[in-house]
Amino acid sequence: MLYALMGLGLALIAGILNIPNFAHGALFAVGAYLTVSAINAVGNFWIALLVAPLGVALLGVAIEYAGVRRLYAAGHDYQLLFTFGLSLIIAEGIILIWGPVGISQLPPPILRGGVDLGFTFYPKYRLFVMVVAGLLVFGTWLFLEKTRYGAIMRAGIENREMVSLLGIDIHKLFTAAFALGAYLAGIAGALTAPIRGLSPGMGVDMLGIAFVVVALGGMGNLLGAIAAGLLIGVAQAVVAAYWTEASVAVIYLVMAAVLVIRPQGLFGIR
Amino acid sequence: MTRPTALLVAAVLVLPFIVRPVLATEIWIFAIFGLGLNLLLGYTGMLSFGQSTFFGSAAYVAGYLLKHTAINIFAALGIGIGVGALSALLVGYLCVQRSGIYFIMLTFALNQLFYFVAYQWTTVTGGEDGMPGIPRPVLAGIDFKDPLAYYAFVSLLFLAALWAMRRIVESPLGRILQAIRENPVRAEAVGYHVPRFKLLAFVIGGAFSGLAGVLYAMLFGIVPLEAISFVFSGNVVFATLIGGSGSLYGPIIGSFVFIWLSESVSTLWARWPLLLGVAFVIVVLFLRGGLVEAWARFWTWRSSKPRR
Amino acid sequence: MAILETQALTKSFGALAAVNGVSLAVEAGSLHSIIGPNGAGKTTLFNLLTGTFPPSAGRILYDGRDITGTPASRVAHLGLARSYQRTSVFPAFSLLENVWIAAFATGASWRGLMWRDAARYPEVAERARQALADVGLDGKAHSPAREISHGEQRQLELAIALAAAPRVLLLDEPAAGLSPEETRRMVALVRALKGRYTIVLIEHKMDIIMSVSDRISVMHFGSLIAEGTPAEIQKNPEVRRAYLGGVAA
Repeated sequence: MLYALMGLGLALIAGILNIPNFAHGALFAVGAYLTVSAINAVGNFWIALLVAPLGVALLGVAIEYAGVRRLYAAGHDYQLLFTFGLSLIIAEGIILIWGPVGISQLPPPILRGGVDLGFTFYPKYRLFVMVVAGLLVFGTWLFLEKTRYGAIMRAGIENREMVSLLGIDIHKLFTAAFALGAYLAGIAGALTAPIRGLSPGMGVDMLGIAFVVVALGGMGNLLGAIAAGLLIGVAQAVVAAYWTEASVAVIYLVMAAVLVIRPQGLFGIR
Repeated sequence: MTRPTALLVAAVLVLPFIVRPVLATEIWIFAIFGLGLNLLLGYTGMLSFGQSTFFGSAAYVAGYLLKHTAINIFAALGIGIGVGALSALLVGYLCVQRSGIYFIMLTFALNQLFYFVAYQWTTVTGGEDGMPGIPRPVLAGIDFKDPLAYYAFVSLLFLAALWAMRRIVESPLGRILQAIRENPVRAEAVGYHVPRFKLLAFVIGGAFSGLAGVLYAMLFGIVPLEAISFVFSGNVVFATLIGGSGSLYGPIIGSFVFIWLSESVSTLWARWPLLLGVAFVIVVLFLRGGLVEAWARFWTWRSSKPRR
Repeated sequence: MAILETQALTKSFGALAAVNGVSLAVEAGSLHSIIGPNGAGKTTLFNLLTGTFPPSAGRILYDGRDITGTPASRVAHLGLARSYQRTSVFPAFSLLENVWIAAFATGASWRGLMWRDAARYPEVAERARQALADVGLDGKAHSPAREISHGEQRQLELAIALAAAPRVLLLDEPAAGLSPEETRRMVALVRALKGRYTIVLIEHKMDIIMSVSDRISVMHFGSLIAEGTPAEIQKNPEVRRAYLGGVAA
C-alpha cells in the first residue's frame, strides 16, 4: 500500500511535469526523519503525522520553485541531474542533522501490539498504515477524478500545451503537482517510521521501488501506478515469506519480465 | 596527429609523475567509461542512468574468472568487453523502445535489479563486502603488479579506446546516431530503423563500460558493490556532463575533474557526496555545456575584448 | 502502368475514419495531386503510404508488389521518399549533412558503417551535393540547418527527399508558408522534377495544382470524391461543393 502511495506521487510528478524525480526517495526519507523529530519535539505522534508531510510538501515547493522550474526547457538530462544532485544533498544532509546511525521509532501507544485476525496475529500499526495509506490513495484518486482541479491535473498529463492554452497557469499547476507528489512521499515516509525504523539509505531503496511501480503501472497512468504499487507490495510480502533474501531482487525481476512481454507496462497506454 | 590527441598523449606521459600512478590509472579508466556513455548521451541523445550495470557486471565476471581460473590478461579484457556488450544488449533491448523520462527510469530500475542480484548473491559476488583478491596476470614477462607498468597498460588501452571511439563518431554510424538525436521521426523516415540503431549504440557503450570495469577490477584488486550501483552510474553521467557532452573529449576532461576532486575531497570530509550533489546542482543550473563549452565561450569572450 | 496503387485503403482512429476506402492509382512518371479541404485525410494518406503507421484495412501496392504494413524505415529503401508539411530536418546538422544522411541510407552499400570516415563515401557525397544543387541550396551547403530562412528550410525539406534517389516523391505542401516569390520558385522546382520522378503532391494553392498536375484526386472527410484531369476537376460540381459549400479550406 505504501508502494502505491510512492508510485502515485512519482507518477504524478512524472506525468504532469514530465521529469523523473530522483529525489522522490529522498523526500520519503525526509518525511520519516521529520516525523521522528516532530514526535520528539511535540511528544504526539498524531500531530507529527499531520505536520511532517506538510513540511515535505513545502520542501517540494521550494525544490520546484528554485530548481525544477528553471529547467523545464533544458531537457530531461538536466532535470534528472538536478533531482539526483538534490537526492545526494538531502541524503547527506540527513546524516549531518540526524546522524548516520539508524533510528527506531515506536508506534503510538494505542497502535502497539497486534490484532488477532484468526489465522495470524497481525501488528496493529501495520493495519493502521494500510488503512491510512489506502484512504490517502483513495482520497487522491477522488481528488484527481472528481474535482475540477484534479481534472486539470489529469489534463496536464495528457496535454500540457492544451492546458496552458486554456488559460490555466501552468506554473502553479506544476508547483501544485510537485507539492502533492512530495506530500505523498512525505506521508509515506512518516507512516513507515515505526515499521522498519529509519536509516539514511532508506530513500534510495524506496526510490528504486517507486520507479518500478511507475514503470510497471504503465508510464503516465496514475491508476496503473496505484494498482502496480499494490501488486508489488503483495508480491513482495508473499516472496518474503518464503525466500526473504530475494524479496527485493524479485521485484525488479518481475518488472523486467512484465516489460518484456508488455513493454507498455501492465496498464500502460503508450 | 590532431592537437587534442597530441595533448592527451602528452598528458598520458606526464600524469603519473604529477599524481599517484593509481589515481592516474583510475582517471583513464573512468575516461573510457565516460566515452562509452557519451556515445549514448551526447551523440544519440539517450541518457542512460544505468551504465554501472555493464561496468559492474563485466568487473564481477572477469574478476571471478581472473581469481579462479588462469586466464591471461587479454582474455580478461575480452571477457569484460563481451560481458559489457551482452548485458547492454539485454538491458538495451528492454529499454530502447521507450524514450524520454521513461527510458531513463527504466535504465535506472534495471540497474537496481543487477545491484540487488549482486547484493544477494554473496557466494559469488561477496555482497556488501565486494569481491576481493583479483590478480593482475603477468604478460610476456611484464609484471603488472608494478603500478607504473599497469598504468602504462591502461593508458595505452585508453588511447586505443579513444581512437576507436573517434572512428565510430566520424563514421556514418556517428552521423546516424546524431540524426536520431536531432529528429528520430525523420531519421526513421529516411530509412534507419531507430530502435535497432539505439540498441547498437547501447551495446557499444556497454562494451566500453565493460572494458573500464575489468580494468577497474584489476586496478584495485577488488570489485566493490558500489561498482554496480546507481550512484556510480550517476557519477559517470555527472563527469561526462561536467566535461561537456557535446564533444568527444568532454568525458575525458570530466573524468579528470571528477576523479581528482572525489579522491581529494573524500579524504577530507566523509560527507563529500553532499558537495557532489551541490556541484551537480550548480553545473545543471549554470554550467550547462560543461567545461568544454565554458572554455570555448571563454576564448570567444577573450578574443572579442577590445585591445587596450 | 501504375507504380503506386491503393485499394480500399482505410485508417480509423477509434470511431473516426481519417482515410475511408481510398482507391487510387498513380502512373509512373506522372504528377498526381491530392487536394481537399483541411482534415480531408491527405496527410494521413501519406502517412499510410510511407508506412508511418499501418492501415486499418485495404492494400498498398508498389510496382505491383503488396507493401501494406511495411514500416517507414523499410519503405524508404523501396524508393519512396517524402517531404513533410511541417518542416522536419536535422537542426544541428549542416545542409550538406542533412541530405547526406538521407543519401547514405539508400546508398548502394553500408560497408564500413562503423569505422569508415563518413567523408570517404564519394557516391553518397555526390548524390547529396546533387540534391542540394537541384533545389538551389548548394551555395549554403555548410550552413547549419537551424540558421536558414523558412523558405530555404522548405527547399531543404525537398532536398532531403531527393537525396534518397527515389522513384516516387511524396510532397506534402511544399509551398506551405512561402511568400509568392518563393512559391513561384518552388513550383518551378517541382516542374523541373516532373518526368525524372513520379510525384504525388498535396497542395492547397489551386493555381499550382492546376498548372503542374497530370491527374488530380479530391478527398473529403477521408473519402475520394472525384478524380480526373485538371480540366475535369475544375468542372466537377461535387468538388465545388466540397470546397465552397462544405467545410471551408
